[in-house]
Amino acid sequence: MSDKKARSQGAVQTTGHAWDGDIQEFNNPLPTWWLWAFYATVVFALIYWVLYPAWPVGGSFTKGMFNDITFVDSDGSVKTTHWNTRALLIRDLKEGKEARLSQEYMSKVADASYAQILADPEMMAYTRSVAKGLFGDNCAACHGAGGQGVIGLFPNLADDAWLWGGSIEQVHKTIADGRYGFMPAFSDTFDAKQLRDVASYVLSLSGNPVDGVARARGEKIFQTQEGGCHYCHTPAGTGLKSQGAANLTDQIWTIADVNGTDDPAVKLERVEKVISGGVQRQMPHWSERLTPAQIKLLTVYVHELGGGQ
Amino acid sequence: MHTTLVIFGFGGCALFATSYYIVQRTCQTRLYSDWMASFTFWGWQLAVGLGALSYMFGYTQSREYAEFEWPIDILIAVTWVVYFTLYAQTLRRRSQPHIYVANWFYMAFILATAILHIFNNLAVPVGLFTLKSYSLFSGVQDAMTQWWYGHNAVGFFLTAAFLGMMYYFVPKQAGRPVYSYRLSIIHFWALSFLYMWVGAHHLHWTALPDWTSTLAATFSIMLLLPSWGGMINGIMTLSGAWEKLRTDPVMLFLITALSFYGMATFEGPLMSLKSVNALSHYTDWTIGHVHSGALGWVAMITFGSFYHMVPRLYDTRLYSVRLVYVHFWLATIGILLYITAMWVAGIFQGLMLRSFDDYGNLAYTFVETVAFLHEPYVVRAMGGVFFISGVAVMAWNMYMTVRQSRIESAEIEARIAAKMANA
Repeated sequence: MSDKKARSQGAVQTTGHAWDGDIQEFNNPLPTWWLWAFYATVVFALIYWVLYPAWPVGGSFTKGMFNDITFVDSDGSVKTTHWNTRALLIRDLKEGKEARLSQEYMSKVADASYAQILADPEMMAYTRSVAKGLFGDNCAACHGAGGQGVIGLFPNLADDAWLWGGSIEQVHKTIADGRYGFMPAFSDTFDAKQLRDVASYVLSLSGNPVDGVARARGEKIFQTQEGGCHYCHTPAGTGLKSQGAANLTDQIWTIADVNGTDDPAVKLERVEKVISGGVQRQMPHWSERLTPAQIKLLTVYVHELGGGQ
Repeated sequence: MHTTLVIFGFGGCALFATSYYIVQRTCQTRLYSDWMASFTFWGWQLAVGLGALSYMFGYTQSREYAEFEWPIDILIAVTWVVYFTLYAQTLRRRSQPHIYVANWFYMAFILATAILHIFNNLAVPVGLFTLKSYSLFSGVQDAMTQWWYGHNAVGFFLTAAFLGMMYYFVPKQAGRPVYSYRLSIIHFWALSFLYMWVGAHHLHWTALPDWTSTLAATFSIMLLLPSWGGMINGIMTLSGAWEKLRTDPVMLFLITALSFYGMATFEGPLMSLKSVNALSHYTDWTIGHVHSGALGWVAMITFGSFYHMVPRLYDTRLYSVRLVYVHFWLATIGILLYITAMWVAGIFQGLMLRSFDDYGNLAYTFVETVAFLHEPYVVRAMGGVFFISGVAVMAWNMYMTVRQSRIESAEIEARIAAKMANA
């Protein structure tokens, strides 16, 4: 019978104590593999302590050896220190393979004009790669991961309609300086009948069938000083980009969810609600949070997202 | 709320109950004082109940696992001192020459928890009639103290104490001697000594000094084998009686708990290495790890112990052994689903967060990594349903066991009464 087998068969002595009637203890030696594995972890720790900062001594600590880090500090000076996570981070952010690659492209894009970026497939590919992250981290919270927006709250950036203009310059201004969209509330100006009339006219502009008499009354309010709607939305109803006024002649609705229902009465109700309550929307400015180069990249990205003009 | 109820509500009650049971059986003596035992019961219930209520009303110290505001902390401290006194005095009254190993672990747990609780909760109340207080520590020392506490709550509350449970119920249920007295001494002291050093591994890659991180990581590695000492001693106790696993579902619970314990204590040191931690930290891998400990080890060993203890307390047999099997499989499947889902969620989210595209930019936005988690979370929820159904099965089985005991004793009493009447 082998020694191992003898143990498991209970041939090994117990300590001679017994608790609660029948609990006893063998006095088997420590398993050899356990002991050696424990020693191995101790050796691992010893080696670790030699290589890395480890033990506090006096007012300082052991610094570790054989793995000094040389890095360019924020003031431009080259420094060599013992291993530490701060130096490691600075070095990785500046000299890591990915960091270098990204910075190389970034400086190229920062120096290029919008026209140059738009004409260069490689710079465009880089733009998409960076700006996808910038958009996801900064814009997607409101505008959605694909820029689809939320009707009534945040404009859709992925369609062809641009409240504040879809040219590169206009998109740039929107991102850098932010926008404040405002339409006054007409609840004190119009009574219920007038609200219905204006809403009928507004719906008719994009081809919705409405009551002709109401529409005619609404047109008068819209186009005269009575409502004054034409000042911002223009007499044709296409909207002044400089005011962020919506184009009412297309089928795109950003506040009233007209397309979300087939019932003409509900459509009318939804438009009335907007006219009555007005609109206040704010897009924050990003010039203080993002670098000029990042804003440039985002501009190109958003411009491309919605088929920019 | 969740962690408080699991650790202190479930874990704490299980430990109070089993420690009082074990200390009396292994010392062959009665508890030093019955009113002290009742006091610890009501004090503890009150503390955990008030804690849970206060969180719901928004009162928390914002220290993980130590969220109780200062008045509840004082209640816990008082309860704990009574617990310590009661336990130590009961040990002194033992009619056995030696103190059994299970009691060493319970004693270490009671002592360490007192020290941890008091030091981590040192704070100055804003006023006598407010719940708000400010910690005595600030900045990185505050974080360090909190995680010294936090990890040793895992170490002494959820590991050492439950090892005490294991050291009684495994040999008792197996009817075999503990594998090695020597191993139990060595791993007890190594575990107690090493655990105190490792809390800082929760703070890798933060403002914590690098040397502190190193010490925490290396001591965590050295902790692996001492932790495994308990598993070896438990599983090897069954050596020569392996067939019990086929016939005894209670044994199955205990041994499976030890297997999860071994797995979690292997995973822990691995995750405490700085390079692994850089991937695993702030992901669901951590959640998976704590649940393989909480569900796999803490809950399974408790279930096994309850199945052993409750019928003996009520002097009867289990209502249904078959239901114990049902519970075992529900629990095991639940845990496996849960932790594999969390491994997938955590490791892949970690990899997504650090992957770059061809232009050296991050390949995924944060929100994309969150969207990825959807499916693993569905699997996790399924795992949870399995596990909680198992607990419901146990509750039914326990209720019926106690009921059966009442019926039996009523029958016996009736028979005795009948005999007395005839005589």
